[in-house]
Amino acid sequence: MNLDTYKKKSPWILHYNCGSCNGCDIEILAALAPKYDLERFGILNNGNPKQADIFLVTGALTYRSRARLIELYKQIPEPKVVVALGSCTCTGGVFRDMYNVENGIDSFIPVDVYIPGCAASPELIIDGIIKAIDILEAKTNEKEKVKKDFT
Amino acid sequence: MPKKSINIPIGSQHISLLEPVRFKFTTENEKIVGIDWDVGFVHRGIEKACTQKFEYKQVGYVVARVCGLCAITHSLAYTYAIEQLLGLELNKKIQYLRVLMLELDRIHSHMLCLSHTVENAGFEAMFMKIMNDREAIMQLQEAISGNRIQFDYISVGGVNRDIDKAIEKQILKEVQILDHKIDDLIEAFETNWSLSLKFKGIGVLSKEDAYIYNAMGPLARATGARIDTRLESNVMPHKEVGYETILFEGGDIYARNMVRLYEIKNSIQMVQNIIQGLPEGEIQLKVKGKPKGEALIRLEAPRGEIFYYVRADGGNMLRRVRIKTPTYSQVPTFIKIFKGANYADAPAILASFDPCMSCTAK
Repeated sequence: MNLDTYKKKSPWILHYNCGSCNGCDIEILAALAPKYDLERFGILNNGNPKQADIFLVTGALTYRSRARLIELYKQIPEPKVVVALGSCTCTGGVFRDMYNVENGIDSFIPVDVYIPGCAASPELIIDGIIKAIDILEAKTNEKEKVKKDFT
Repeated sequence: MPKKSINIPIGSQHISLLEPVRFKFTTENEKIVGIDWDVGFVHRGIEKACTQKFEYKQVGYVVARVCGLCAITHSLAYTYAIEQLLGLELNKKIQYLRVLMLELDRIHSHMLCLSHTVENAGFEAMFMKIMNDREAIMQLQEAISGNRIQFDYISVGGVNRDIDKAIEKQILKEVQILDHKIDDLIEAFETNWSLSLKFKGIGVLSKEDAYIYNAMGPLARATGARIDTRLESNVMPHKEVGYETILFEGGDIYARNMVRLYEIKNSIQMVQNIIQGLPEGEIQLKVKGKPKGEALIRLEAPRGEIFYYVRADGGNMLRRVRIKTPTYSQVPTFIKIFKGANYADAPAILASFDPCMSCTAK
């Protein structure tokens, strides 16, 4: 048994707020709390990038956060999935073109799932995470295929 | 041998921090002797956008995005400032609906703070329980305004949605249930022995220091200082709907939690009074003319006093919007409390301040 088998069943989340108004962040908490209960998919909110599989980013990317965002992205091991949560994260939202805002995280790191909404509701968050799990599985299979071809 | 101090950095990304904020604690044998903050990670430049990108009718929805937790207070403070400039006289129904949303927002914000405090003290199960109870309020907010977090409920000259009999019935039923749950929580916070070890006598602020360091909100009221904007300002009809000042002695984390719990009970009482005595009337007044002049507004957000200054010169664009938020004013108080505390208590103390960095950096 290797680690990738378990990864599909229990992906861990790394949450980073790169300039959000807290609206999406408290909806993540609500999604992890008993009513919506994202944890039933084996998902755990973890603070360590080295153990994370899904990178959950909220907020309009500010000038000072971008170096930290890229640093965190680099520290997550492959395969990884990036989820942009909320309108601000996808495009900059209401803060688009302000002097300190970088108009969405996809100009700096590749994004796999976009979740719209201001603030994104817990149902949308769950929907996005389920999509992210599928993408994670596809990426894991691809990696294993490459491994088989070369061994 | 000279004493050695150790620097411990936290942030800007950390599991117990929802927001990007960086601390540098200087510690000597478990005791915090110095603390350095960096709160500027969330700065988005909202004050400039309010005067250069958006017209005065749109700004109410922009300033709501300063903070997701007290969104309603920001848009309310801005709207009252504009209405003062336009000379609008609001009717009772609009005023009461606004107080209703403000108090529901206060309930859910206080409950989030309580759940965070117990989580950072190591009580995961209680965190889940309080978050579960909080969902009732989120559903009420969704029923009234159409959204769970960013309501966009307030517009210049009124509110955007009316409430009907079914929603009134739902509100009364849900807050009645919540009232009993809050009673249980008060009992747990008062009598649980291991909670008291984490909360009683930790992070103490004296009443004199509360005045000297400009504490506000639940942090000040937990020391016995009678500081509440709802007492002083007549902008909103809080006194008509049964507002009471909640004061506690001690100034530790326990007193802050109790102030928040009893304020939730007071807010529930106000919500019930509003629903039972809601007058008839229009929910949106006609807005004529453009704002001209200067206006100052102070309102009580869940964390303390919020202050808005608006200057306009008769055009569609405003000249200046200045926002002063409670967390920004209270940073000196936080540093005062942190000095001399044990490092192991730092997360619980921090959570009990209920800090809001997106408010602070704007």
